Amino acid sequence: MSIEKSTKAARGTAQCENTNINLLKANDFVADIIKKEMAKSNTLLVNITSSAGSGKTTLMQKTAEKLKDKLNMAVMVGDLETERDAERIRETGIFALQIVTGGICHLEAQMIHQVLDQFDLPNIDLLFIENVGNLVCPASFDLGEDYRVTLMATTEGDDKPKKYPRMFLTSDMMLVSKADLLPYLPFSVEAVTKDAREVNHELEVLQISSLSEEGIDEWCDWLVQKVKQKQQT
Amino acid sequence: MHETSIVNSIMRTLEMEFEQEKLNKMKAIHLKVGILSNIEPRLLHNAYSAYHITNPGYHHVVLHIESTELKIQCEVCNHITDVKNYRFICDNCERPSKNVIQGEEMLIHKVEFDD
Ligand SMILES: Nc1nc2c(ncn2[C@@H]2O[C@H](COP(=O)(O)OP(=O)(O)OP(=O)(O)O)[C@@H](O)[C@H]2O)c(=O)[nH]1
Ligand SMILES: [Mg+2]
Ligand SMILES: [Zn+2]
Repeated sequence: MSIEKSTKAARGTAQCENTNINLLKANDFVADIIKKEMAKSNTLLVNITSSAGSGKTTLMQKTAEKLKDKLNMAVMVGDLETERDAERIRETGIFALQIVTGGICHLEAQMIHQVLDQFDLPNIDLLFIENVGNLVCPASFDLGEDYRVTLMATTEGDDKPKKYPRMFLTSDMMLVSKADLLPYLPFSVEAVTKDAREVNHELEVLQISSLSEEGIDEWCDWLVQKVKQKQQT
Repeated sequence: MHETSIVNSIMRTLEMEFEQEKLNKMKAIHLKVGILSNIEPRLLHNAYSAYHITNPGYHHVVLHIESTELKIQCEVCNHITDVKNYRFICDNCERPSKNVIQGEEMLIHKVEFDD
């Protein structure tokens, strides 16, 4: 606890302003600008979050492979230090840009806005943001996305939804990733789904594997449908 | 780490909201943060102290943080439930609800200035 110095009574002249300002208002202001940019170009913006190593970049590669002939897509990748993930995604033949956060554990709207002019938005139907691998901080920062998708790998504990409730509460879709490993792991998709839906009963859940391609067609269909919806508005 | 960003954001937000002249007289900031906000008051206080090293201008401004517990209000029966173990389900009628009425806040709810 901080020590309160009550100079107020002595002076009797203190002025108080009761406010109700979101303390991330500065971030949300920029997130709104991003939303408007995306609306102008009808670009669907999807924010991909997960713990470190749950398979985000691999999923971006797989998605690019499957959809790049159908849709114009691009990726921005947030990472603490390296350029590696963007390079991996570029190898699939789509445009990807690395945002090196320099130690910051999440992406903020300002960082996205800063690189937006490097994307040819009118010619991009689907823009992914691969967030920094961490389920805590990225949950609080709105990036102006249309949908937030959280990966939950079978190699992680299935108690994540209750440990990081804000992320699951603010997500639209949970992808149970690395499903090819299910036979070897004490991971219950049923239990994780139940916990996640206790937090957020509207959460969509899909089981996927970038390796065996289980669920990848459903994932791509979901994206194509959301892109279509966006372009109709 | 994200506490540092949050402190920066609070200060940027206040700078958007109030004139510099007024900010020079600022003496206390009161925050209300819900347990769902991922903000740990102790860590935020530390980050706030660290902020003053690079921004000595606000070193006399006291930060107060109030934490709030999680409550939902059922859209169907209006019953208010204290959420335990992040089970977002109405105590009364057992229906799921996302209607969080407390516990999600990340608010600057009061700012004090010297006259
Ligand atoms: N068995 C299996 N392994 C996978 C799958 N997807 C990814 N992996 C492996 O998991 C590891 C991490 O994958 P990435 O795609 O780099 O994960 P990430 O979420 O991008 O990681 P960060 O960006 O560091 O947070 C790699 O060794 C991948 O080969 C999958 O579907 N099945
Ligand atoms: Mg990655
Ligand atoms: Zn009810």
